[in-house]
Amino acid sequence: MVLTDRVRTTRRRLLGGGLGVATLAGCGVFRDEPKPPPAPDPLQPVLDEALALAGAYDRVIAAQPALSARLTPLAADHRSHAAELAKLIDTKASAPPPEAVDSVAGLRAAELAAQKTAVAACRAAPADRAGLVGSIAACRATHAEALR
Amino acid sequence: MNEQVAAALAAEEAAIYAYGIIGVELPESAQVTEARAAEQAHRDRRDYLVGKMDQPRTSPAGYRMPFPVTDRGTALKLAIHVEDGVAQAWRPVLAVTQDADRMTALAAMTDAAVRATRWRRLAAVSPATMAFPGWAE
Repeated sequence: MVLTDRVRTTRRRLLGGGLGVATLAGCGVFRDEPKPPPAPDPLQPVLDEALALAGAYDRVIAAQPALSARLTPLAADHRSHAAELAKLIDTKASAPPPEAVDSVAGLRAAELAAQKTAVAACRAAPADRAGLVGSIAACRATHAEALR
Repeated sequence: MNEQVAAALAAEEAAIYAYGIIGVELPESAQVTEARAAEQAHRDRRDYLVGKMDQPRTSPAGYRMPFPVTDRGTALKLAIHVEDGVAQAWRPVLAVTQDADRMTALAAMTDAAVRATRWRRLAAVSPATMAFPGWAE
């Protein structure tokens, strides 16, 4: 009797252990499935706009080389913004949609729209990001002023 | 927060004082009007900040301008200098505020940066913008 009980106990333990293994294996099956992509960083739209704006300036400069001296520093500002933001966030350099902009007036409108994005991002940002995003918002406003 | 607010207040006080000098040296009435509008904007920001201070402030000390203002060129240079200084004083306020107060701080920093750009254009300083307003170059 005693011996049988021991055997039963051991069998039960084995069964329990087997179930445990089966459960872990189940987890492993799910682990192999593609994970949903992580939510993009809240600053990703600010970074995307910085790159899109820089590209828009490049196209306007290419079409109107006489504007190069005036516009090149503004394009450089946007690339500086993108570089600083890329240091903060885990980004996969998503190709921003091209801005359909072919004039200084179009650039100005794009700057004002991008300023709004950065203002909203500044409002929502944690304390350690507020200064950088706020500065980017202010810079976009100064660009709109410079394009008047 | 009080430390950052006090620094912004000091910058606004300095700007108000400086615009009194700047206005005298600007030759064109349009620019004088712009300087007066800027001075009034800084007075409004000062009043807002005074309301945010936990403790009564001490009256501001006398100001020393960073260089003598003797003509249009030095007046514009001082205007650029004070607006850059105001933007730099407001930036740290962003990190210690939230919601509406942070938006006010951002508006104050942005307005100062935009005025600095406007004065740079009038002074034919190029480039008229900087990548990170509010950060010391």
